[in-house]
Amino acid sequence: MKRGLGFYLRIYARILVQDIKSKMSYRADFIISTLGMICTNIAGFVSFWIVFQNFPSVDGWSYYEMLFLYGFSLVSLTPVQCLFDNNWSLRMYVYSGDFIKYCFRPINLFFYYQSEVFDIKGLGQLAFGIGTLVYAWAKLGLPVTALMIVKMIVFLITASLIMIALQNAAAATCFWIQNSFYVLDFVFRFKDYAKYPITIFSPVFRFIFTFLMPIAFIAYYPSLVILHPDEVPLLSWLSPVVGLVFFFLSYKIWMYGAMKYSGTGS
Amino acid sequence: MKLKKYLTFTRAGIIEALQFRLSTVVMVIGNLLYLIVTYFLWKAIFASVNNEPIGGMTFYDTLIYLVLATALNGFMEMYTVWEMGRSIQSGKIVLDLLRPMEYRKYLFWSYSGGFVVQFLTTFLPTFIVVTAVTQGAVPLGLNLVWFMISVVMAVSINYSIDFLVGTVCLYTESIWGINIMKQVVILLLSGATVPLAFFPEPLKTVVQYLPFQSIYNAPLTLLLNKNPEPLAILTTLGTQLLWVIVMLLLGKLFWRVSLRQITVNGG
Repeated sequence: MKRGLGFYLRIYARILVQDIKSKMSYRADFIISTLGMICTNIAGFVSFWIVFQNFPSVDGWSYYEMLFLYGFSLVSLTPVQCLFDNNWSLRMYVYSGDFIKYCFRPINLFFYYQSEVFDIKGLGQLAFGIGTLVYAWAKLGLPVTALMIVKMIVFLITASLIMIALQNAAAATCFWIQNSFYVLDFVFRFKDYAKYPITIFSPVFRFIFTFLMPIAFIAYYPSLVILHPDEVPLLSWLSPVVGLVFFFLSYKIWMYGAMKYSGTGS
Repeated sequence: MKLKKYLTFTRAGIIEALQFRLSTVVMVIGNLLYLIVTYFLWKAIFASVNNEPIGGMTFYDTLIYLVLATALNGFMEMYTVWEMGRSIQSGKIVLDLLRPMEYRKYLFWSYSGGFVVQFLTTFLPTFIVVTAVTQGAVPLGLNLVWFMISVVMAVSINYSIDFLVGTVCLYTESIWGINIMKQVVILLLSGATVPLAFFPEPLKTVVQYLPFQSIYNAPLTLLLNKNPEPLAILTTLGTQLLWVIVMLLLGKLFWRVSLRQITVNGG
């Protein structure tokens, strides 16, 4: 049975409300987690600031350009944090056998599984990221036009698909291997590398970070569209396509693993 | 012999850690990737000042410092806060408290096997590779002895902070949030993400008076200093010892006070 986007959006809203209600019953946890997230972002910002107190630029990138890149990466990493956080629990569900409950619902399995958890603390990161972006945007004197903003939003959304795709694929490894936490953790650390310009690497690693582990598409390539509108490389224009392709592939891998899942027999 | 009962935990931990070989491979690749990124990043950063030393640190010094800081972090991370938090939430802590051993000690020694394995599989290889690759940037002499002494104290301080933070879990339901805050504060203020030598004043002075710099900055400075003054070594080790004692006492005290508060789900 095929159902439209509207149907899924309505369901998502229902589940979201329930999830937030249950989170709110642990108010202290919510507040502390949000504070923790903000601390992480502040610390990232402070280390940036300290480095630039001593050094004028990184590979020709000025302080504000680097900040822009940093802000871009924070925003494009928010959806994976907020919407796909349940991937972290996948191996536990699969291991214990509880995963089977998701298989019996008459809606898309992947959708239902991911919709169950909404990680509110990611919103702190979003706010911090947008703040950084706006600040860097103003300091760099980039033009503010409707076209620029539309471009920005489109590229941010498609860039966010990259990390989602990487995390989906990494989480799905639990359908095949036992100790998949390390794979997920390994991939999760990629996000920290997204905030650097790819040009600092040697050609070999530039190739790896562009095509094999597409970290450069999280922030570097898409942000060039806004940062240097006069000389946008082809890969930047392609980044929305790359995002969509990787997301689709990861979805297929995830679903393939889930369909293979045979439960624990209990 | 009293130590024997503790070493039993160490042995069990070693056996447990050796079970997961795939995870080790993945972790090694992950660390390699981190090293590569760090190398290129700081190379680019130092290129912007024509490779002049900044704050007394050259590109190689910075690289060795950061790489070894990561290696140290790899083996000092004990997930104490998680362990304590989960035991408190599940109620398992009641069983642990009944053991004929102080909870603080039990937790430490049951993790100590992981230390040994991590030290041999992560820190030692990293150290050897770094020493070989940078050829002479790491002085090999008496400083290795000071470094080892310093690391032992760093482990103690780090554990005390972990235990202190873990105790907070008795009061809150949050583990993730508490743990991430601790991690972020330690990594930044200990100089593990950016060497303390680069910190601008007055931040630098403030950080010197906090316990965190004793965890990473102290051992690494002792290791990398080519011609140290005896007084400087003494001050560094003395400061560490002071923090070892202070944090130990604080941790014990807070734990004792908090234990009266404890409410655990029945079951």
